[in-house]
Amino acid sequence: MKRRQLLVAAIGLAAAPLALAQSFAGKTVTIIVGYKPGGGYDATARLLARYLPKHLPGKPTVIVQNMPGGNSIIAANHMYNIAKPDGLTIGTFNRNLPIAQLTSVEGVKFDITRFQWVGSAANETTILAIRADLPYKTFDELRKAKEAVVIGSTGPGANTHDFPLLLKDLLGVNLKIVSGYSSSADIMLAVERGEVDGRAGSFTSLRPFIDRKLVRPIIRARSTEPGLEQLPVDESFAPNPRAKAIMALRSTPELIARPYVLPPKTPDAIVKAVRDAFAKTIADPELVAEGKKTKIELEFTPGDQAVKILAEVLNQPKDLVAEFAKYIKFGE
Amino acid sequence: MLEALWEGLLLVLQWKAFGFMLLGVGLGFWVGLLPGLGGATTLALMLPFIYTMQPVEAFAFLLGMHAVVATTGDITSVLFGVPGEATSAATVVDGYAMTKKGEAGRALGAALASSLVGAIVGAVALAAAIPIVRPLVLTFGSPELFMLAIVGLAFIASLSAQGTRGMLRGFLAGGLGLLLATVGQDPQAGVARFTFDTLYLWQGLDLVPVLVGIFAIPEIIDLFVRGNSIGGNAPPGNVAKGAWEGVKDTYRHFWLTIRCSLIGTFIGVMPGLGGSVAQWMAYGHAVQSAKTPEEREQFGRGDVRGVLGPGAANNSKEGGSLIPTIAFGVPGSTAMAILLGGFLLLGLVPGPDMLTKHLAVTYSMVWTIVLANVITVAVCFLFLDRMASVTEVKGHRLIPAILVLVFIGSYTSNSHYGDLLVTLVFGGVGYLMVRAGWPRSPFVLGLVLGKIAENYLYISVARYEAAWLTRPVVLVLIAVAVAVILYPFFQAYRSRSRV
Repeated sequence: MKRRQLLVAAIGLAAAPLALAQSFAGKTVTIIVGYKPGGGYDATARLLARYLPKHLPGKPTVIVQNMPGGNSIIAANHMYNIAKPDGLTIGTFNRNLPIAQLTSVEGVKFDITRFQWVGSAANETTILAIRADLPYKTFDELRKAKEAVVIGSTGPGANTHDFPLLLKDLLGVNLKIVSGYSSSADIMLAVERGEVDGRAGSFTSLRPFIDRKLVRPIIRARSTEPGLEQLPVDESFAPNPRAKAIMALRSTPELIARPYVLPPKTPDAIVKAVRDAFAKTIADPELVAEGKKTKIELEFTPGDQAVKILAEVLNQPKDLVAEFAKYIKFGE
Repeated sequence: MLEALWEGLLLVLQWKAFGFMLLGVGLGFWVGLLPGLGGATTLALMLPFIYTMQPVEAFAFLLGMHAVVATTGDITSVLFGVPGEATSAATVVDGYAMTKKGEAGRALGAALASSLVGAIVGAVALAAAIPIVRPLVLTFGSPELFMLAIVGLAFIASLSAQGTRGMLRGFLAGGLGLLLATVGQDPQAGVARFTFDTLYLWQGLDLVPVLVGIFAIPEIIDLFVRGNSIGGNAPPGNVAKGAWEGVKDTYRHFWLTIRCSLIGTFIGVMPGLGGSVAQWMAYGHAVQSAKTPEEREQFGRGDVRGVLGPGAANNSKEGGSLIPTIAFGVPGSTAMAILLGGFLLLGLVPGPDMLTKHLAVTYSMVWTIVLANVITVAVCFLFLDRMASVTEVKGHRLIPAILVLVFIGSYTSNSHYGDLLVTLVFGGVGYLMVRAGWPRSPFVLGLVLGKIAENYLYISVARYEAAWLTRPVVLVLIAVAVAVILYPFFQAYRSRSRV
């Protein structure tokens, strides 16, 4: 019985991607990263690059190439206009590029919906965490704070800035945002020395400091992950539908936090092969074990779903976009 | 604690860890020599190789590589006038001038010996500072970091030529540097400044293409115009003997070397200041050590102290920059951020535990920095003859090779043609500055410190309003800055009254 199953599986595997096996074997697949080494986008791409060869038909070599600049618009422009649609170039870039397109940022030379989307390798949960020794234990208590709570940020366009900004401007939380720190690590040090009272950021990057009881999570955006479900969501406190829509718009790209795309016009068969390889790679137990250690936890959102999420971001009435742009600038 | 120190040494000396360290040193050696290609990029490339290693082996490998980059970077700076790393640009100023005078051996000897002293001082400081690391780092908030940047800018007074005219030029060059540091998207309002609608400039000017351009291109043009070799008509002399002279120089100016090492360590400890600041402050301090105006004139024309200072500081900062990474889990630089990834991969959580439970591992890192540098310096001395003989090669044979390295080096920073343009433009700026007698170091200092000063000033005012000015450490640093600015005037006054 078992043998027969194996046999059927083997035939199935051998028959389907036969043509593709030829197209990838002996070739080099390049993942273009829109940032320099040393950040989350780069680390994720390098982790994937080590396990992708195992799952791509024909076991090609996979390398990572950094193409930083313009908050990764340069890399996206390259993927859209220059890269060949042969499946040998995969791009990953700033999750907020849909926002850049929506708010007509100068320099954008792509239509994000026309990429052939492989999908997203992870989602990200943005939370606000404040010093554990502050008297505010819940968001309701924080809302009633008389004295301003100081939040450090790296600058507009980053989730360290935009998330607390909306809490302050739309929900009226008494926050004072101090921006200009060179990295989220830098803000953490400022928290440690009492210069600021807390920071927003991805749950992954804040978790070690939550575990150390330095800070306490208070509120999150709509995207979630295990262990955070009971934390209140910013949108649920929105005073009106417009505020809610703005908060939703800011956080939607976090559902596709590690976007991976192929150039437009890449043949569907190749797209499918790459998508399948990504799905298998991200489920690979070895990769999962390694990701656990390095705190890179991946979750695959296939391309067709990613495109639906994109549509949600981009289909907005003009006046809402104008108001959104008042609060949020594209960056980082 | 001593026990942990000893245990740490034994950990590194295990044959496997030691072998990996040698491998790392070998790699770092080349990364340092090649201009542009930085330590951080190489660390990212090497990270996958540590998956199967034990923590001590992995750090011996990674740190061994990272620790020697600045050492061999100095060699490129001295021999070709091309900064081997962004962190070894200050060595160019006097090191290359010495090479042109036919003192390549002595400059190399001094650079290597001071690197070694710097590495050891940095490591010792790291080891000794471990008990007080947390309070030390926490004392320096944004207002203090802003004032440190101001102290750094005050060194422009030492880096400029003497007299009103010289000072004016120095501060103007520094001002230009500050201005160019504002290029890019600003972190307060998100406005793009001076980007001329190009995406390339959004992230600001990259340091490597600017440094390579401003230092290397004028020297290449000069070499081309002269039409002979780098060493010119000066007899190269006995390289080994010259190198020994350089080692003796380190001993002659022992306390200067130690002081510059301490400056480097201190700047390294401060997260957010960045490695390229330390060398310039050390260089400025070295210039201060000149006793007479005539002696000061010699800086920039090949004074060995101008090699010793940055040579020591750019190595000692490595020990320092490990401190915030280890003690807080907060990396002080890109290289350290990547190293932090290595920590997590190996199941070590950086933070207070590294100073107690895993103290031996922490000390093994200290030892790695020391041993890697001892080995590198020893190897370099063996090949000194070969290296220095490059300065006798005719310019028309050498220039194509240097140019290729220069442009590949600057291209590695963003892999964008903008890198090459920036190199060319700043090459032109640098050439004009040299021809017109404007100092280049203040410009670089302004560029390096501009963003830091701007951001920390903004944070200080936003957070504390005017109250930041009354913090005790800030007051001390204001006094230091004033003293640094007035020192050259005081020196001039003293020597005049003596005559």
